[in-house]
Order: sequence, then structure tokens, then C-alpha cells
Amino acid sequence: MACNIGANDVANAMGTSVGSGSLTFKQAIYVAAIAEFAGAYFVGGHVSDTIRKGMLDPLIFEATPLHLAYGMIAALVAAALWLNIASYLGWPVSTTHSIVGAVVGFGVMAGGLDAINWSKVWAVVMSWIISPVMGGLVAFLLFRFLTNQVFRRRNPLLYAKRILPFMIFLVCVILSNAMFYKGLKNLSLDFTFIQAMAYSIVFGIIGFLISRPLTKRIPDVPKKDIHKQLEATENIFKYLQITTAFYIAFAHGSNDVANAVGPLAAVVSILKSGTVEMKVAMPPWILALGGGFIVLGLLVWGRRVMETIGSKITEITPSRGFCATFAAASVVLICSKMGLPVSTTHTLVGSVIGVGLARGLPTLNLGIIKEIFISWIATVPFTALLAAILFKVMVFALG
Amino acid sequence: MRTILSMFAKSPFKPLVSHINKVNECVNQIKPLFDAFLSSDYEKVESIAKQISKVEYKADKIKDDIRQHLPQSIFLPVDKRDFMHLLSAQDDIADAVEDLAVLMRIKNINIPDALSQPLMELVDYVVTLANDACGMIRELDDLLEASFGGAEAEKVEKMASDLGVAEYEADKMQFLLAQKLFSLSDISAADLFLLNELIKKLGGVADQSEKIGKTLRVFISR
Repeated sequence: MACNIGANDVANAMGTSVGSGSLTFKQAIYVAAIAEFAGAYFVGGHVSDTIRKGMLDPLIFEATPLHLAYGMIAALVAAALWLNIASYLGWPVSTTHSIVGAVVGFGVMAGGLDAINWSKVWAVVMSWIISPVMGGLVAFLLFRFLTNQVFRRRNPLLYAKRILPFMIFLVCVILSNAMFYKGLKNLSLDFTFIQAMAYSIVFGIIGFLISRPLTKRIPDVPKKDIHKQLEATENIFKYLQITTAFYIAFAHGSNDVANAVGPLAAVVSILKSGTVEMKVAMPPWILALGGGFIVLGLLVWGRRVMETIGSKITEITPSRGFCATFAAASVVLICSKMGLPVSTTHTLVGSVIGVGLARGLPTLNLGIIKEIFISWIATVPFTALLAAILFKVMVFALG
Repeated sequence: MRTILSMFAKSPFKPLVSHINKVNECVNQIKPLFDAFLSSDYEKVESIAKQISKVEYKADKIKDDIRQHLPQSIFLPVDKRDFMHLLSAQDDIADAVEDLAVLMRIKNINIPDALSQPLMELVDYVVTLANDACGMIRELDDLLEASFGGAEAEKVEKMASDLGVAEYEADKMQFLLAQKLFSLSDISAADLFLLNELIKKLGGVADQSEKIGKTLRVFISR
């Protein structure tokens, strides 16, 4: 399951960078591997909590804790199966949605409709709709801001150089804040929000101070040669795009590792203690395991998937890629912080559309929106049903 | 999970540039065509005409391809109808050039000496103008990159307004040439008709070229 995540979703995250020529395949795979693992290991804990116990009432399983383990295994198998079927058919389904559907499915089967914390499920479903919309809105505004501040200037390169350190500052602050704020539990560093903010601002300032002299060294281009000006400006955005590609792989790792290992964590905890605990700490080794498998999947399948993507996305330039990925990653990170499992892919789709609506892309295939709707409608019932059946079979066979 | 992948439809702006390159090839044949025609080298007229219709056919293929690959669900940063207008304007230039060659092959005529110089002047003028229009399409990439604004947009605006002025000049030249043509006394009705058609077609090339500039202006102002 984690392997599958590694190969497919990561390709989405890094595809724009490869497509625009900011990174080579090899570089993209290394960056993704490091970022995914870091994201999974450091920030992965939060979302796991939601998947594991937020939507289910664990008290249902008080008497038969093993059933919860069976159910979680059933959920994992159902989701993995559905993902593979969908990949085979070429449907854009979300890992997140599959696992949520599966957990709800076996929950209903095990404890009836009351076993499900429906308000929590609704919040999750709402977040699926809100996340692409938010991704689109943020990307739209960010791109509009950049066009007004840089591309519509008489001297875009000059303004790009001026704005770059500030963008680096912003990226550093958000990225490090995501890591620090409740993120570093696994390293026994637990900051309050204010502490985390203070540290991230320090990081941001460091980024600012490092990037400022570096941007000064970028050679100027005569103002008259607009073509060269635009080219040099895009070159600057390459650095930002690589940073945000790292960032989205990180956000992806933090969010999606939970999908793969969240249920596993529940299984382990039940098998260890034999009871259903209300609060189970996510063992770091499980997160590391999930991160490791994501990286494995990436190494094995990623190249093939990314080559397909890279050859097709030739239309996206670094500045557009930056806007789309940065917006998507921010929204995904905020959602993960709130404990809402959202789809990285769908958020990124939303933000790419946002950039397109701001007249940033030469063309956009809006037929994809229909496919996303289908994925929303088909995935949850299917995985729910499959997980419910698998659960019943396991209970029947194993007692 | 090919979501992101399938979002990026093939950009129709790239084939639009390939199309204008073919159109430009046709435009570049106008001068040799008239040279051959004026020096009564009809074999050469024939061979250039063949060359033109070959290139025009390729341009048509590209045009059809663009039209087919522009389904409803594709979102463009410009109005789809404007995009189509641009494509037809480009295609009309190639068609007009092909028509010039066809007209020249209908009948062998001796151009009266009084006409040949002003006619070649008009040809030169129209060719330059059409070349400038083709050059504007090659700016589209940068225009997209600049998100239809800034210095690049100003540059294209300037080109479009220059093109408008040039088209006005071409109109005047065309009118004066027509006056000269109709003041000739020793010309047959058939020759007069053919020459008048040629002049009108040249004017058509200029008109369609101006349309390219106008449409790009609409892109920017949206």
C-alpha cells in the first residue's frame, strides 16, 4: 500500500518540477525520497489519529478488541485492492478517500451505524471538497500576486530578484512551522504554537539572509530584451519550485503515510496490549516503516511514472509550477495539522486549475473535474463495501 | 492516479506557431512568384505555385488538427472564439497566397511597363507586412509567459498598431495602383480583370495580416 502511494502520488508532486526542467528524474527521486520520509516520520502522527479513532467509536470493540484489528487489516486490504484496480483502469482515485471509506465500511459492519462518529466523517468529507477549492483559491491569488509584482513589470527580472528572498522567507516559515508545531513529538521536541512560530521565523530569516546575497549575484539582462528577461526570471523560479517540490513531498509524506500505517498502528497496539485504548501513541517505528515503504515504492516505480508525467507536462513553467505546488502544499499541511485527511492529488488539481484561471497556463483540461467527482462517488462506497465483506469473512474464519 | 497528468492537455498555441511558420513559407513565395510572373517565366510560376499549394496543404492539416483537438472541456487563457478567429486569419493568408498563384496560371499576360514598378512596390510592402504579422504569432510564447501583461504586452500592442498603420498604407497603394490600371487604354478586358483580381488578393493578404494584430490585441485586453 505504501509502495503504491510512493509511486503514484509522489509522481504527481514532483511531476511539475521534472516537466518544467527544474529537476532531472534522478534529482527528483532523491528529493522526493528524503522529503517523503521526513514528512512521514516527523509530522505523520496527527492524521493517523483521525483515521484510527476519530471516525470510529472504539468502545464498540471493548469486548472484542481483536475485531478492531481484523477490521483495520480488512480496511487496509480493501483500500490497497481498490487503489490497484483504479490504477489499472487509470482512474484518479485518492488513497485518502479509499482508506476512509474502508474504515467506515467495516465500522458499520461491526457495530452498526452508531459505531461511526458521523460528524467526524462529515468533517472529513467536507475537507475533500474544501481542499481543492482552497488550493485553487490560494494558487489563483498567489499567481495573480506574482504576475502583478513580477511578470507585468517592465523589468521582470529585477522584481523577481527583489521578491525572491521574501518568498524564500515565506516558504521557510511555513515549512519549518509545520515541522515544529506539534510535529517533532517523535524527537521529544514538543513546541507550543508561539514557540514554533518564533523558531520558524528564525528559520525564515536565515533563509532570507542566505538567499539575498545569492540573488544579487544573478547577472542582469538588458531591459530591452524581453524574451531573455522572462527566461532569466523563470530560472529564478526554478529554485523556488524545487523548494516547494520538496515541501509538497514532505506534506504528502506527512499526510499520506497515515493512510497506509494508521490502521497498522491500531493493529499493533491491540495485539500488544490486547485491549482497545482510547489514546494510543503512534510508535515512531511504524511511521518510519511507512516512510520507508513509500521511498521503496518511489525507487521501484517512481521513475516509470515520472517519465510519463515529465514527457507530457511540458507546458508548465517553473513559476506556474511553484504557485500550484506551494498553494497545494500549504493547504495540505494546514489540513493535516487540523487532523483532516485530505487528498494531495486533488488539492494539487485544484491549485493547478487556480493558476489556469488566473491565465497562467496555455491550456487546461477541465474534463478532469468530472473524473474527480466520479472518484469521490465511487471510491467510498466501493472500499466501504469491500472492507465490510472482508471484515465479516475474517470474523467468520478466525472468530 | 494520473490526475495531474491528464490535466495538461496539449497546448494549442504550439501548433498555432507551426501553422504560422507554414503560412510564412507561403508568404515568402509571393515575391519570387511575382518576379517570375513579371518576367514572363511561366515555368517558374508553375513550379512556385506547386510549392505553395504543397505548403498550404500542410498548413491546412495543422489547422484541422488544432480544430479537432480543441474540445469543449479545454480551458484556454483566451476566448476560444478569438483563438479560432486567429487561426482562420492565419489560414486565410495562406489561402490568399495560393489564390495568387492560381490566378497567374489562368492566362499568360504581359504586364504593361507602367504597372510593373508600382505593382512590385505593393508586393514588397505586403510581404513585409505579412512577415511582421507572422512574427507576432511567434511572440505568443512570451506573451503567455508574461500572462498577457507588462513589457511584452506593450511590445505586441506596438506591433499591432504598426501593423494597422501599414495596412492603411497598403490600402492606399492598392487604390492608386487600381487607378493606374484602369487608366490604361491598350489593355484587354481579360488582362484587366485578372490584374485587378491579383491586386485585390494582395490587399486580402494585408487585411488578414492586420486581423492577426487585432486579435492579439483582444487577447491582451481581456
